[in-house]
Amino acid sequence: MGSEITVRMIDVAKAFGETRALKKCDFEARAGEVHAIVGENGSGKSTMAKIMSGVLHPDAGKVTILGEKVASPVDAKRVGLTTIFQEVLVADEASVFENLYVGRDGVFRSQSTGDRRTEAAEILARLVGKSVDLDQLAGSLPLSIKQWIVIARAILRKPQVLILDESSAALDLDSTLRLHAEIDRLRAEGATILIVTHRIAELVRIADRATILRDGITVGTLGKDEITEENLLSMMTPADRRASDATEYASRKKALEAPLILTATGLAAHRSARLFDFDLPKGSIVGVAGLDGQGQDAFIRALAGIIQPFGGEVKVRSVDTDKMVPLRSLDDAANLGVSYVSGDRKREGIFPQQSIFENLAIGVYRKKLGPLGVIRKPTLKPMFKREVDRLRIKIGSPSNRITSLSGGNQQKVLIGRAFANDPQVILLNDPARGVDLGTKRDLYRELRLFAEKGGSVIYLSSEIEEFIGFADRVDVFFGGTLFRSLTGEEIAEAPILAAMFGKARDASVDFDLERTA
Amino acid sequence: MSATAFRQVTQDRSLYVPAGLFLVLLCAVAFRGQGLFTNNGLAGAILVATPLILTALAITPIVMAGRGAVDLSVGPLMGFVNVTLITWLVGNGITHPVAIIAWAVGLGAAFQLVQALVIIYVRVAPIIVTLSGFLVLSGVNLMVMSRPGGVAPDWMLSWGAGTSVFSPVLLLLLGAFAIWGVLRGTMFYRNLRMTGADERMAYTSGVQVDVVRIIAHMVGGVFAGLAALSYTALISSGDPTQGSTYTLQAVTALVLGGASLSGGRGGALGSTLGAINMFLISYLLSTFNFGTVSGFVTQMAFGLILVGSLLVNVFVISRRTVA
Repeated sequence: MGSEITVRMIDVAKAFGETRALKKCDFEARAGEVHAIVGENGSGKSTMAKIMSGVLHPDAGKVTILGEKVASPVDAKRVGLTTIFQEVLVADEASVFENLYVGRDGVFRSQSTGDRRTEAAEILARLVGKSVDLDQLAGSLPLSIKQWIVIARAILRKPQVLILDESSAALDLDSTLRLHAEIDRLRAEGATILIVTHRIAELVRIADRATILRDGITVGTLGKDEITEENLLSMMTPADRRASDATEYASRKKALEAPLILTATGLAAHRSARLFDFDLPKGSIVGVAGLDGQGQDAFIRALAGIIQPFGGEVKVRSVDTDKMVPLRSLDDAANLGVSYVSGDRKREGIFPQQSIFENLAIGVYRKKLGPLGVIRKPTLKPMFKREVDRLRIKIGSPSNRITSLSGGNQQKVLIGRAFANDPQVILLNDPARGVDLGTKRDLYRELRLFAEKGGSVIYLSSEIEEFIGFADRVDVFFGGTLFRSLTGEEIAEAPILAAMFGKARDASVDFDLERTA
Repeated sequence: MSATAFRQVTQDRSLYVPAGLFLVLLCAVAFRGQGLFTNNGLAGAILVATPLILTALAITPIVMAGRGAVDLSVGPLMGFVNVTLITWLVGNGITHPVAIIAWAVGLGAAFQLVQALVIIYVRVAPIIVTLSGFLVLSGVNLMVMSRPGGVAPDWMLSWGAGTSVFSPVLLLLLGAFAIWGVLRGTMFYRNLRMTGADERMAYTSGVQVDVVRIIAHMVGGVFAGLAALSYTALISSGDPTQGSTYTLQAVTALVLGGASLSGGRGGALGSTLGAINMFLISYLLSTFNFGTVSGFVTQMAFGLILVGSLLVNVFVISRRTVA
């Protein structure tokens, strides 16, 4: 293993308007190591990655990559640094092959494509696990393969320094293992791999070292043996927030015996799936799990009135009449007090051109209208302040654009929007995607409080750990239908995982979960 | 050439509608039987359609580069080349073909270079920049030449006779296609498409998006220069105002040809088909007798067919990609 220093940042600072994303960042990475960059949302991780890639320019400090200054992505390409960004950057109108080699050549110089095709086909097949037609349009492929195109694009460049900025967030377990195999291969070849991640289990497994960021300051670097969940958390979280822990989420079976607030009968995600029923007791938190595409996403959308299920009926107890009323549309959902929070912030969540205030308050405007339909802003201010405080959203001025916030804080604004409606049921569709542990804890605590006050929660997540110590019941989807409901002691990693793979109740699980510990 | 064109049509869904419309119009024109398919008829058609085809080609690379960069200035730019050619060059006795062609192409490219630099470095929205270009040039054209007049160089007069299919105007058109054909094979073309499809991706992947954008504009400028030459040949004189009408026609042709105004999708074949379709529509309508309102009927037909083809695209063709 080499010990030569490949990436060095000294005293780097960067501000966006009034938000100081990086205050003092010192960082070093060596050849032949996997170095994780960890921190909460808004701690400056992504900014750091973008500065190294030459996409952003630091306000102060010095950055050298392999001994050179990188001022643009073109420079980065020249020195051999490649970044896989958080967004899946794929041109839908171009072929897979073109997407893989975008930016590889100069403006006019073109190279023979014969060798490239074999190489591209080989690497893509290795990553995806099956061969992919290089000539089809990227737009016709599912998101999971697009994600691999982005990763393959980087690997095809044979980078000296590879930065993965939350790149594995959307990958399932099996794919994550394949990505790790690829990272091991690059490390063995002497490359420096920097991983920006929230998934602590992931970095405990593969990182050689980890640098922790807190509020734009690098607070320290841990060696391989020191990387444990405890160490990471205590360094990432400011002291005043460390108090909260799992004990406050003691399991409440009682909650499941309360009267039902929402029922669904005879639902199916698609025509060929088995019909199923679902019920939600008042004041409970029900988790929804499943592998990608098993129908859980369609289910939660149907509950929210966004899509129509194939047959069946959703009913919600009306606040006014205390009778079960059918929910068939978004309007019904709003009238019955059912709020929906999407984890897909970009497409279903934020209004990027609007302020933080507008983004939070937009859902309650129609309830707060004055004469002539004028919005009475002063009446909204206390509500805004309440939600910002409650969810601990880190903001500058409320009139700043929402895009000035980090992803996790944007997500908090969306959750605040849902709370602001005083709903009786909140549906969350993978809200913690790409969100750090501190934010998750804030979120769990608020949802728990909400449930204690009689609210009901349906929480869909792609990460099993989220349910443990939090959900009163976990409903697992498999094959387009509700496969199993787990309660009490069954809410643990192994049983949930087994159900996700469609295994019978008592079968043992083959996954080596101990490796993450 | 026709073989590759055919393959492109069968592969690229966005060409289905323009190609289908082309065939329908061709049949309709043949049915009306007004002599388009004679030597003189075709020669005249090429002469009339070429300026529109070339202006549509001129905005194609610029639109493909993305950011909603529809080049509104292309019509007045063509007019500017036309009036300066007649007033400044021919008016001062400069009539050598090389000088004339170099002036037209060079002026087109130079103007587009300026626009590109403003768009990139002043960071103004492209549509504002090209709208300013439209207004400025519309005014300048009238300052250079206050009313239609002047004569084209002697050697160009024969171009506008429209008696032979194989006229220099056709050569101009084929020359433009040849330039496009060469570009298509370069890295530049691929980078152009990627920049238009997703500029962020292209930039972060190390494509020099600014250089790509500058070149796209200059290529557009070259085509605008060629368009001005064919336009000068068509009217055999200078006209300060008529050029402006080509802007909206060129944009219409582009969209009829299946290009996406948001960038990334489009090409010479589509734009050419779009422009030819527009010519065929007006030709077809001219075979009916609408009397004094015929010009309005043509405009209305352009609008209706544009909306119709977009609807067909949305509801019939794009649906299939989703399924």
